[in-house]
Amino acid sequence: MLNQSVRDRITAVSFHGTARLDPRIKMIILIVLGCVSFLINGDIPELILMSAVTVFVCAGSDPGWGIRMLFFYILISYLNTCLKYITVPGISLLMGIFGVTIIKAIPIVTMGRWVIRSTYMDELMVALQRAKMPLTVIIPFVVMFRYIPTLGIEYKMIRNTMKIRGVSDNVFKVLLHPFATIEYILIPLLMRCLKVSDELAASGTTRGMERENKRYCLLNTGFGLCEYITAAGLILFVVIIFMLNRSSIGQYALWRQL
Amino acid sequence: MIRFKDFSFCYEGNTEDALKNINLEIKDGEFILLTGRSGCGKTTVLRSLNGLIPHFYPGKTTGELLYEDRSLLEMKPEEMAGKVGTVFQDPRSQFFMTDTTRELAFGCVNMGYEREEIIDRVEKTVTDLKLTEYLNRSIFALSSGEKQQIAIGSVYALAPRVFIFDEPSANLDHEATKRLAGIMQKLKEDGYTIIVADHRFYYLRDLIDTAVYIENGQIDAEYSRGEFCGLGEEERIKKGLRSVFPEKEVGIIRRKTTDSGLGKVRKTLRVDNLSFGYDKKKKVLDKLSFEAESGDVIGITGHNGAGKTTLISVLTGILKEKEGKVYYDGKKVSPAKRRRLSYLVMQDADYQLFTSSVEEELTLGIKKVNRMLVDSTLERLVLSEYRDRHPAALSEGQKQRVTIGASIIKKSEILYFDEPTSGLDYDSMIRVSGLIKELSDNGAIIFIVSHDDEFIAHTCTKKLDLDTIKQRND
Repeated sequence: MLNQSVRDRITAVSFHGTARLDPRIKMIILIVLGCVSFLINGDIPELILMSAVTVFVCAGSDPGWGIRMLFFYILISYLNTCLKYITVPGISLLMGIFGVTIIKAIPIVTMGRWVIRSTYMDELMVALQRAKMPLTVIIPFVVMFRYIPTLGIEYKMIRNTMKIRGVSDNVFKVLLHPFATIEYILIPLLMRCLKVSDELAASGTTRGMERENKRYCLLNTGFGLCEYITAAGLILFVVIIFMLNRSSIGQYALWRQL
Repeated sequence: MIRFKDFSFCYEGNTEDALKNINLEIKDGEFILLTGRSGCGKTTVLRSLNGLIPHFYPGKTTGELLYEDRSLLEMKPEEMAGKVGTVFQDPRSQFFMTDTTRELAFGCVNMGYEREEIIDRVEKTVTDLKLTEYLNRSIFALSSGEKQQIAIGSVYALAPRVFIFDEPSANLDHEATKRLAGIMQKLKEDGYTIIVADHRFYYLRDLIDTAVYIENGQIDAEYSRGEFCGLGEEERIKKGLRSVFPEKEVGIIRRKTTDSGLGKVRKTLRVDNLSFGYDKKKKVLDKLSFEAESGDVIGITGHNGAGKTTLISVLTGILKEKEGKVYYDGKKVSPAKRRRLSYLVMQDADYQLFTSSVEEELTLGIKKVNRMLVDSTLERLVLSEYRDRHPAALSEGQKQRVTIGASIIKKSEILYFDEPTSGLDYDSMIRVSGLIKELSDNGAIIFIVSHDDEFIAHTCTKKLDLDTIKQRND
């Protein structure tokens, strides 16, 4: 009885819904929607794209994140429209470009973080291997995935020591020496990165990371019916978005009444 | 059985051999401790055993290294994976997966075991090593000790015959070290061969079969457990070895040098009813009051999670107190003011080195640089010849001295050290201790967070035990 519960806990699934899709289809969606985001320019199609990403993320164990990013998107989109009505030579154009880039990036960031947080690392490894990728590509990829969540922790540690040293410790100093500030953050970060990746590689090697054999993961996964349906849905969605973008709906500007 | 026969190794690009004519026989089920000064070649021996040498760290080998009559040097690390398991020093940088369950299964997945077998092996590991409570947790939410247990588990699931531990106690507190010793005891009883390299070995004294003392890449002496634990104090210190019985030194504190801060005004740091909590529900620090004056070296102790790091973060001004006040020299000091007064030497020097040379590092953030002071500080810390070197190219001990040097130049009056002796051998420990004494004799107030009883006994003049304070308050 007790052992049964240990077994159950080992095979427990903490992600549900769309998060249980094969990592390969998640990556495909991320790449395709990323490209779509930069290829369309209508306000309405962009909003539909962002809403679709939100729905997809909400259906995959992370509703808080999806909804937060949707609100953020609407806010930025609104502010960006306001900018059109204020003309300061030079700055307006610069801010406009900046705003558009952020708007394009939001769906990608929303989807990207969700992929990282909702994918079991062993499944990612196995999925990439099944996609016939060589180990020399998979290993750095997995290390990167694993390293991203620690960046925040490392950044905080570095900022704390900067405060103690009196280096770029307030907004004024940061604005006065932006490049020096970036340097002071990046150097320790890179040093840590080098050290950690070296130790990680040694640790992985002694646990057989470089073995070329076929791998199996803890939970059953694979490219099945759900994945094919999702892929079909993705194609349909992309076609609709492009059609909308070319139709009169694509020309409609949001917040027009401003 | 593992046998070294006249084994030598030279790292690629080096001229001197890291290991010279090693002859050693490790029997099945034996518990071996490798010890010696930093850089003596302990880690190189371990790397030869797990296949990282010569495949991961290339270089020239001579002599023989046999594992059950097969040459180990011809086996690739991935072939060694199920035979020799290694637990590395820093538990933070051994994880590939982001959750504990998958980390335990990581090796098995690589070996290509089928799903049922992976689950069976993880189940056995979890039951044998009592890791049930850690299943399905995020790796990032674990303490150092917990991370290490998962690292051991991940190796255990591969069922190797030989276990290698590289400085396993360096990042652990007392409780975690005790648990580590418990796990090693179990492994020994189950007949595993265990090879440990560590500076601190008091926790292994009932487990060791043979202790191997290495000096300059050579085996200098081999001791049985009895001989090793019975080494005289003088002999031990000459060999640069840590104490086998550090608990004898618990409670001992150094007498303050009577003429410290002579001719200088004594300043007092007074903490009055200090409270802090990361959220409203639970206070990490609760109404803490104490006093310290120039020349004091205060050891802050307590179990993991007692609030040691939080306390120094508040005192240095990185965090803002929720209640209570801090006075220095009779005046109330705000967090921003405290940041200017204080300096924190972190456990991991890499976080504190920002520039491209040692000299630049020392003067970073200082408006009027006093050249004389920089020169004398470099001299004092034996760093003069490295002044133009990149800090990243220095050894860990040197990096630590650079960060201490920056505090001298900043003329900080209150200094904080977070675990300054983790992973240091006896000589380096004594050097850091001497440096701290010097700083305090010059009138600084110094706080040290440490689990190292031997070091505290050598260095501190006062102790602030957060556990006893908490008990008294309750």
